[in-house]
Amino acid sequence: MNGPRDGELFDEPTLRRALRLEASELPPPLDVAAIAARAAAGRSALAAASITSLAVACAAGAVLLGLGAVALSTLAPVLVTDAFGAATATLARLAIPASTVLAIAQEPSVPIAALGALALAIGYEYAQRRERVHAVSTS
Amino acid sequence: MATSVALRSFSPAMATTAPVTFAEAVRDHQDEVFGVALRITGDREAAPDVTSSTFLKAYRAFDRYDPSRPLRHWLLRIATNEAISHIRTRARELRHRADVDAASTVPDTAAVPEQESIARESRARIRSAVTGLPELYRVVIVLRYFNELTVDEIAQVTGRPASTVGVQLLRGRALLRRALEGAP
Repeated sequence: MNGPRDGELFDEPTLRRALRLEASELPPPLDVAAIAARAAAGRSALAAASITSLAVACAAGAVLLGLGAVALSTLAPVLVTDAFGAATATLARLAIPASTVLAIAQEPSVPIAALGALALAIGYEYAQRRERVHAVSTS
Repeated sequence: MATSVALRSFSPAMATTAPVTFAEAVRDHQDEVFGVALRITGDREAAPDVTSSTFLKAYRAFDRYDPSRPLRHWLLRIATNEAISHIRTRARELRHRADVDAASTVPDTAAVPEQESIARESRARIRSAVTGLPELYRVVIVLRYFNELTVDEIAQVTGRPASTVGVQLLRGRALLRRALEGAP
């Protein structure tokens, strides 16, 4: 084998020469007009895709809003009914103990008279005790 | 969009910016862009497509081009990215394809003088070794030895720090040397 040795293969000028384009490798000249046309076509396709996606997004948003409105109109009466039922039940539970208090408040004669008599007895007893203490201390 | 859209190309020799049309940019740089595509992909069939898509992207993005930077580097950056993208896609396809038919190039059987044949064989070995390098090193080796960019210029094109490019060039050359020593 009388080809170049590995060291020779690797030296930088050889590397440069090896990587250089050969005449047979050169590409045909690019068609600038074709590039511009492809870019324009791509842009219009992109614009069409943008418009389509925007339309789809709008349609989806409208459907979502419609579904929300229907759901709300269906659920609202049920929710109101449930809330009213719960409030009524709570009121009924509170009314039972409250009715006893209210009944006493409506007929106050016996308890108030009893309280009055008790207060009077306490006051009389207190006055009697003070008189006895005063008599003992002065005698 | 007109094909004569004006780009302003940086000319280091004059240290001024000179407006160039897109058509001029294509004319001036298409061989170099094609070369980058060919040397990075190692695929004669794919290189024209990579070149074409490079200029297509350049055409679409010309308004984002920074005229204070060299047009050549901007185009090489796009070409490098396109070539890398191509080789990644091709690698994915090859991984998924069970019946990979060896897409080897048909050797030129035309009679050539012995010296020329040896030189051609050496070039083929080197190109094959470059194509076999990992993508990371292949890009810097191609930009250094095909495009003859400096380390700083490679850093600009690839967006990697210059120190990293220096290290990658050293490693790439070491891998290349190993590949050439190991080649029959």
